[in-house]
Amino acid sequence: MGNHELNPGERSLVECYESLKRTLTEYRDDLAPFEERNALKALAALWQVANGLDQDPGQLYDVGA
Amino acid sequence: MTESPYWNPRHETMARDEIEALQVRKLRNLVGWAADRTGFHAKRFADAGVTPDSIESLEDLRRIPFMTRDEWMEGQLDQPPYGPVLAAPEERAIRYHMTSGTTGRTPIRVLDSMKDWEWIAEMWCYGLWGFGVRPADTVFVAFGYSTFIGFWGLHYASEKMGCLVLPGGAMTTEQRVRTIDEMGATVVCSTPTYALRMAQEAKELGIDLAGGPVRRVILSGEPAGSIPATKQLIEEQWGAKAGDTAGMTELGTIMMFECERQPGGTHVIEDHYIEEVIDPETGEPVPYGEMGERVVTSFGRGFIPVLRYRTRDLVVKVPHDRCDCGRIFDLYDGGIRGRVDDMKLVRGTNVYPRAVEAIIREFKEIDEFQIRLHTAEGIRDEIDILVEIPDASVDPKRILPELQRALADAHEGLRFGIERVEIGSLPRFELKAKRVLDERTVIGTEGERRQ
Repeated sequence: MGNHELNPGERSLVECYESLKRTLTEYRDDLAPFEERNALKALAALWQVANGLDQDPGQLYDVGA
Repeated sequence: MTESPYWNPRHETMARDEIEALQVRKLRNLVGWAADRTGFHAKRFADAGVTPDSIESLEDLRRIPFMTRDEWMEGQLDQPPYGPVLAAPEERAIRYHMTSGTTGRTPIRVLDSMKDWEWIAEMWCYGLWGFGVRPADTVFVAFGYSTFIGFWGLHYASEKMGCLVLPGGAMTTEQRVRTIDEMGATVVCSTPTYALRMAQEAKELGIDLAGGPVRRVILSGEPAGSIPATKQLIEEQWGAKAGDTAGMTELGTIMMFECERQPGGTHVIEDHYIEEVIDPETGEPVPYGEMGERVVTSFGRGFIPVLRYRTRDLVVKVPHDRCDCGRIFDLYDGGIRGRVDDMKLVRGTNVYPRAVEAIIREFKEIDEFQIRLHTAEGIRDEIDILVEIPDASVDPKRILPELQRALADAHEGLRFGIERVEIGSLPRFELKAKRVLDERTVIGTEGERRQ
């Protein structure tokens, strides 16, 4: 990961990304289509933030995005 | 932060050693991903003794073998339709695209996922934001929206930024110009050739583009976007700043853009790509300021990892401080200068279509042109330039010899035939212009000999 410290807003966005990814990994089968597909779209967008903040977010294909 | 001139200020202005450290880390991750998920890359890495842990500096990149379009195409023919390059299951893809199919036996076919498409748009955001496009803009996209990837990414980037997007697919040129005028578009996106075509149409319709609200013209798809005379013509006719970008289907999006300072070149998006410049013959790196072939490694699209891909694009890399915008990203001076394969050998002289266009565009009286190569008397290469000059008051006896002299001066005295042709007789283009017609039956050198 990068050396730059995250400010509170950035940290919150990264936490959001991690939380959403965890939700989709652990509870995907429990989600209704509208929940699952909208969450995946949001995750794909938040991945750009995590990546742009040098968080090494990996790939999302196995999660579904 | 909305007033930031940078899309990602953190990366665009970080210290040079930091961006290089970031590239090394991303390269290590990419090598690991590609080796784990595609047999194609795993074998190449194994043969070269490359492992993720062995990537310690950018120098280690050079241990990775080049990837070529030919081997990509061969792979597709062996394992249709995508070849052995996919790193994710096909069912994860949400979109299919293919190259325009002008080079080679088969187009390159690509797939992307949801995350990849967000990234594709993200790259365009660097370019649009960097050239001054903002959420309040109304963006007209003059593009055919098909399996050719073209401006798809720009469309989504504009939406992501909060702009109002006017999709200009399935329209005649007149309809497009009228829409731009009636809807008050402030940004127009097209190929350089088509920007000129729309300006010509507007003139015929009595629409004053230069006096209208368009303030930015985003160019892509042809090297002409960085030819100064072409760009100046577009800027004059549209009354707007014109900025160049360049991308490729193999990457899914753009990898370089011109910033608002218009430094005469395009910044490489170096937090998402490593761009090398090599001698196309030897494969050895060339220093700043020397022309060579672009070789790209992309950290973005994970569905099809691209490492050290030989693009055949000719570029001249210069250091980032050539531009005073504050970005740490190096530039390609003059954008993409042409293609390694574009060069024509005419009676022993190298002729690059882009260089010919740069000279022709100095003559504002010339509206459209074509470069025609043919064989005379069964043995001799000839090169003719066919030009359309719409203004009847222009004296061709003045213009044509001047053009002939300018072309000869730039090509070791090579004689170009110049011919004025009827208005509207030459083809017009919406996407990539094809202005070179090579009808030679015998071509001067062994390497160029036609089959």
